[in-house]
Amino acid sequence: MDLTYSDEDRAFRARARAWLRDNVPAERRPVSGPAAAVFDRAWQRKLFEHGWAGVAWPKDYGGLGLSSLQQIIWFEELARAKAPHHNNTSYVALMHAGPTLIARGTEAQKAYYLPRILSGEDLWCQGFSEPNAGSDLASLKTRGVIDGDHIVVTGSKTWTTDAQYADVQELLIRTDPASERHKGLTWLICDMRTPGIDIRPIRTMLQDDHVNTVFYDEVRIPLANVVGEVGRGWSTALTTLSFERGLGFIGDQLDLYEKVGRVIELAQRVKLEDGRLAIEDDAIAQRLASLKADTMAIRAMTLAHITESDRSGEPGPKGSLMKLLVTATHKALSEVVADILGWDFLEFDGDRAAYPWTFDYLWSWVFTIAGGTSEIQREITADRLLELPRAR
Amino acid sequence: MFLAADEDEAEIVASAADFLADAMPIQRLHAEPPRPDMDPDLRQKVAELGWFGLSAPETLGGSGLSAVEHVLFFREVGRNCGPVDMLAQSLGLLTAADDAKLAARILSGETGVALAVEQGERLRILGDPSASVALAARPDGAQLLDISGLAAETRPPLDPTTSMRLVETARATRLAGVSGGDVWRMGQLGTAAMLVGLAETALDLIVEYAKIRETFGRKIGSYQAVRHPAADMALRAEAARSQLWYAAAATKEGKADAQAHTDAAKHLANIAGVTNADWNIQLHGGIGITEEHDAHLLLKHALLLVKLFGSKRPLLASLLHARLED
Repeated sequence: MDLTYSDEDRAFRARARAWLRDNVPAERRPVSGPAAAVFDRAWQRKLFEHGWAGVAWPKDYGGLGLSSLQQIIWFEELARAKAPHHNNTSYVALMHAGPTLIARGTEAQKAYYLPRILSGEDLWCQGFSEPNAGSDLASLKTRGVIDGDHIVVTGSKTWTTDAQYADVQELLIRTDPASERHKGLTWLICDMRTPGIDIRPIRTMLQDDHVNTVFYDEVRIPLANVVGEVGRGWSTALTTLSFERGLGFIGDQLDLYEKVGRVIELAQRVKLEDGRLAIEDDAIAQRLASLKADTMAIRAMTLAHITESDRSGEPGPKGSLMKLLVTATHKALSEVVADILGWDFLEFDGDRAAYPWTFDYLWSWVFTIAGGTSEIQREITADRLLELPRAR
Repeated sequence: MFLAADEDEAEIVASAADFLADAMPIQRLHAEPPRPDMDPDLRQKVAELGWFGLSAPETLGGSGLSAVEHVLFFREVGRNCGPVDMLAQSLGLLTAADDAKLAARILSGETGVALAVEQGERLRILGDPSASVALAARPDGAQLLDISGLAAETRPPLDPTTSMRLVETARATRLAGVSGGDVWRMGQLGTAAMLVGLAETALDLIVEYAKIRETFGRKIGSYQAVRHPAADMALRAEAARSQLWYAAAATKEGKADAQAHTDAAKHLANIAGVTNADWNIQLHGGIGITEEHDAHLLLKHALLLVKLFGSKRPLLASLLHARLED
């Protein structure tokens, strides 16, 4: 066991920190809408041009070919520099689709798509959940019929984050109409400009429309866009999900520690209704210190997880534990902020920049539901880590 | 950067686990009468294998290993609900650094060391009645006190692993001591490790039971009412263990923020130990509250360990403004 960073790791951190200090955009990221996607693409483009995109991605496809530890160092430095991190419109491309293609894509798919992801040219969205297949993903029904060298897709997907800005979608469909559950599925690369796709935004409790329902009416997708094999899409989807649950939230994980520090600062300047500074309230101070310990544990778990997955060569089932802790900590922190801000917390008009803490609180449920609800993460833990008898 | 036991470390874990399962299995606490503490025989046995000197410098006759081996060993002790005087003996050796003769007697097990907790005018002594020396540790220093022959008021311990008695503080004379926070830190790491081992044992017990026990014609491990709390137990143990590894490695490497990481590790271990022990009883149902089951032993031991080397309030107070390195 050791915490010693190699000379290369330390040099990498120093370079990253120096570059970020001079290059983090001065202007605030637009809260949402097309301007946010334009901003995210520009930031990704800048990272790419300066040699910071795809830290642990293979060099052959435009990445830096560095270690997973250096990837973590990069995320830590992004959080420290308060730089735009990957929970933005680039998220699916960088954290799911790219790693899935690296693991399972054909040479042609990798050569075409990976550089476009790293340069910010292609934003991706995820087409897994359906109106009747969310937690129970394997019950999905969107169908694909093979017609010559194409698959013709008809059906609908939902909770598709940022579909309206995405160029490409990771699309999981049923290609064998006689199949059930995990069999007969296919993982496709879907160009979002293909005729027959209709995107309808869903208004959320955050007063935004970051999620959508996407309808497919005989959408023709080339067979060359199948990732993995036709009928074996579940296996490819598990690869995608393992990235999401493994390191997909790492930007947020490392950001949380910085965020606890910001809330402690907030508590040192905001007065409660009784006139005391919030930090002088024992209950608030204890909750903040306890959350700080949780964020320290999150970092330690991340490093332990990297050690274990580097050893075994795969992310493993502990990503679900990580997601449970990260999302619960995020929510508990928002709840402390609510107690610190009092009435000010109850003012909100949907503007993330003007009311960041209230927005963040409402976002807690996006965290505990998206990417597999907390209940599903507990099920995965019970099945795969504890090997308990199946509930389903 | 490597935050898991490497091969050498895993070997220490395996031999500690073997030794402890044989020398002080948790079943000893169900014997009639129960066998608390380390009696002189057991103390001798542990000493012969060198466990007390694991993390002590070679100049004291120790193995010269680090905080990392220390936590790996005491996690195994915790799995067996090992007595608190086991830790006191190890810390006593570190505290006797300036007294070679005393150090040698502690290392060999000839002199037993109990743990002393200050309570106003009195000291609460935790450990075997044969111990003639007590270790009193604080965040800024530690000392060894001669308690041999003192009038002691025996108190009934909730936790059957560890005997308790009260003596007058003024009558205990100082034998040796060290200043600085090293002994306290090793005490924090040791108790945190014992709580992590205990939290893991609680999880193991309920997972094992949930695979065989049936209600309504199904294994209870197939009910989400059992599966989800069990998953939360796994999370508590994982978070506490990861932070413990980090704190031990930071201590070994002399990092400036090692104390903050250790405070966090003890805090998380306190929560994991008590909460997992609690859920283990609840999810077992009726059998979980019987004397013959281990479940209550884990809870009672956890309640003792959370009181030692930092309980909730002081740990959180020091964590709030602690600064961390990279």
